[in-house]
Amino acid sequence: MAFLEVQNLTKTYDGLRANADISFSLERQALIGLIGPNGAGKTTLFNCICGHHPVTSGRILFDGEDVTALKAHAMARRGIGRTFQVYAATGDLTVLEKVMVGCFMHTHARSKARACAEEILRDLGLFDLSDDLVSELPVAAQKRVVMATALGTKPKLLLLDEVAAGLNTLEIEEIMASIRHVNKDRGVTVILIEHVMELVMKVSERVIVLDYGAKIAEGSPESIAKDPKVIKAYLGERYVKEQRRE
Amino acid sequence: MDILFGSLAAGILLGMVIALVALGLTIIFGVMDIVNFAHGEFLMVGMYTGLLTAQATGMDPLFTLPVAGVVGFLLGVICYAGFIKFLIRGPMVAQLLGTFGLMLFLRNLALLIFGSSDRTVHHGILVGKSFEIGMGIILPATKLAAAGLSVIAFLAVWLLMNRTKVGKALTATALNAQAARYMGIPTEKMNALAWGIGGASVTVAGALIVNFWAVNPFMGLLFTMIAFAVVALGGFGSVPGAFFAGLVVGLIMEIPGFWDFFTYTFDWMWMADVPMTSLKYMWIYVAYFVIMVVRPRGLFGWKH
Amino acid sequence: METLRNAFDFSDFPRMDLVIAGAVAFLFLIFPLFPTSSFAMATMIQFFMFALYGMGWNTIGGYGGQVDLGKAQYVGIGAYTTAVMLIRWDIPFWVSMPVGMAIAVIWSFIIGYPLFRLKGHYFAIATIATSLVLKDLFTVWSFVGAARGLEISPITYPPPDYLRLIFREDIYYYYTILGFFFLGFIYMNWFRKSRLGFQLRCIKDNEDMARSLGINVHWAKIKTYAIATAFVSMVGSFHVCYIKVIEPVDIMSLDLSILIALMAMLGGAGSLWGPIIGAGVLIPLRSYLKEWLGAAAGLVGIDLILYALIIMIVSAFEPRGIWGIVEKVRRRKRR
Repeated sequence: MAFLEVQNLTKTYDGLRANADISFSLERQALIGLIGPNGAGKTTLFNCICGHHPVTSGRILFDGEDVTALKAHAMARRGIGRTFQVYAATGDLTVLEKVMVGCFMHTHARSKARACAEEILRDLGLFDLSDDLVSELPVAAQKRVVMATALGTKPKLLLLDEVAAGLNTLEIEEIMASIRHVNKDRGVTVILIEHVMELVMKVSERVIVLDYGAKIAEGSPESIAKDPKVIKAYLGERYVKEQRRE
Repeated sequence: MDILFGSLAAGILLGMVIALVALGLTIIFGVMDIVNFAHGEFLMVGMYTGLLTAQATGMDPLFTLPVAGVVGFLLGVICYAGFIKFLIRGPMVAQLLGTFGLMLFLRNLALLIFGSSDRTVHHGILVGKSFEIGMGIILPATKLAAAGLSVIAFLAVWLLMNRTKVGKALTATALNAQAARYMGIPTEKMNALAWGIGGASVTVAGALIVNFWAVNPFMGLLFTMIAFAVVALGGFGSVPGAFFAGLVVGLIMEIPGFWDFFTYTFDWMWMADVPMTSLKYMWIYVAYFVIMVVRPRGLFGWKH
Repeated sequence: METLRNAFDFSDFPRMDLVIAGAVAFLFLIFPLFPTSSFAMATMIQFFMFALYGMGWNTIGGYGGQVDLGKAQYVGIGAYTTAVMLIRWDIPFWVSMPVGMAIAVIWSFIIGYPLFRLKGHYFAIATIATSLVLKDLFTVWSFVGAARGLEISPITYPPPDYLRLIFREDIYYYYTILGFFFLGFIYMNWFRKSRLGFQLRCIKDNEDMARSLGINVHWAKIKTYAIATAFVSMVGSFHVCYIKVIEPVDIMSLDLSILIALMAMLGGAGSLWGPIIGAGVLIPLRSYLKEWLGAAAGLVGIDLILYALIIMIVSAFEPRGIWGIVEKVRRRKRR
């Protein structure tokens, strides 16, 4: 029994098919990359999996349970956490407080939530920023804080949405280390949406590729990089022909 | 039966004018996404303008419309440039409370200048005359003229928004301010223009209404809520929506008449005890609430 | 008992704040011992009432970020419940007040469920709509005295009456409302550190993210709305015992709702001190403006004009309120 199984998931918005008949499955503690050109439907897929939007058709099975119809907060309670691509902080909460919100999902006591949050922050090397306002942090730190917040809910499955966007090489290395740590040492299954290829290819065990809402390829990073369908989706027909000539 | 037709007619006539009242609100909201709680106060300003101009110049009240329009336009633009412009930078709490402040300011300024008593129009070609069509429909000439002129004003604004370059620029800003800016449309000027046109339409409506509705400094709130109900029903940002919703709300305001009709028709005396006339505005608030919960987009709305 | 400890734990505030607060609290306690005019005493009582109103509003409006402009209806429910129960069935304040709170809270759940499907302006207008509906209904309902309202006459209940809260001298009212004030304050301190408080702040920050953290956003908002309602209804019950006269047009008016929201907004929505600072500025200002300016012939309304201008200036240029300014300055110093 797979840990997460997505069966024939389709999501349409007013006639536009954002996700078309997508199926895949994951084992526990997998680290999967989800890539595809802009508008391919990656974030929509995330939104469906974590209950943010209702699916038009298809099923989602998580840890043995059919969770297709569950709403976002119920999904979170089942153990699916996620980060958001666009995070507009209205700037009232400190780093510690933000992570505590996640921790409050499992406890009513402030002291326990605080302890849980401090542990996560230490683990990700963010403890020194505890009292800073999230909105005033540099982008790289903000992204790690957002990841820490999601971790507060002790998720079994974590969906990371473009956590490396806008980061420089060093920052990418740091976040890559954090992701590996979360996956290997904390035992969290991870799916990451990324455009930063060096991150995705280095970190994922397997990669799924979407284009125009459909899944066009799935496999190891190396095989995906050579897959003509993938090249065509990203770069167009011409480059496929050029590849073949080599 | 007469009561029914009479109420229907009254409701429709009133509705057309109400539609014009709401038009300004929907334009401002459509272009700028800000809700003007002082909208009813603008109406009140229009009413006083119409009244005073008629009294001062001896003109027939109906001819004071252009004056009211100009005053409304200036009022809108000044409010924008001097206040609203700064307000929108802040969080929503501040915006809402800010326009409330504007409402209080205008209301008490009016109280200071005009005193608290009701004032109505007494002279004029149409005052006191009415047409009787039969079937119990009595059309007061002032209301008829007001309704007619409202429709004309509505058409004028609709033409402006859809057929002129300026209007299209406004619509563009309403749909996507940032994109409009990239196309070279000056957002600031569009915002000011929206407030100007919005202000003008509601003051003109005021100048029309004062012909059959007494004005006092406190009436703003009621009309603000009426305008909101209309805009909610018609769809925030939709001009044709405001028109049809206006008619509906006009009919809602005639509920006491319909209630009387049902009372006599069904002969249920308990109905006569219900003070429906005192509650007639309540239905508007209820309508707003129900609409927003059941169909937030309204009839024609594209913005939510 | 961690709850109680939390309620009294102010350790996350800078020392200086606590010292000032302590001093002010002490002044509040001894204020009536100074020879002050009855006008000053009345203003102080009003201050505590509005500080409490503001604190209640602050839960949903400040921490939660949902602009609620219809709180007056719950003031009315609290006030009318107490008045009706006293006049018709001679039920003392200490019973009628909780009953009033219960009725108000039930009503708030009934409206809250559909209400919180709306957001932003639409929500705000809907709160006004519901408040006006209730006001109109009370204006025609003979059970509560319709438009004329209700009056509690001290002749029927010879003061000092501790059970029914009828007193001749303001000093009794002063200490009663002061007691409520301290209780409310402690509660708010607990609230901002509680699970619900954190959830709300997260909702205010980013609703989608809140959902992804397992928060049932709709329910959290409704619960908080009920808390705000309870506060406001409690003070409403006190109000009627103090002022002894209520009419729907005053006690359920939009003006009152705006005033309530303004306390927190001016002082600093979303902070513990905000509503108190806001009330501390606005209520004396309002009272004294009315005194000095209103009396002069033909200047009726000028106090309100100035008032309105203050609202406009604050909203346009310093929406975070007075406490927001303080925090901004402090943060700059830290850099």
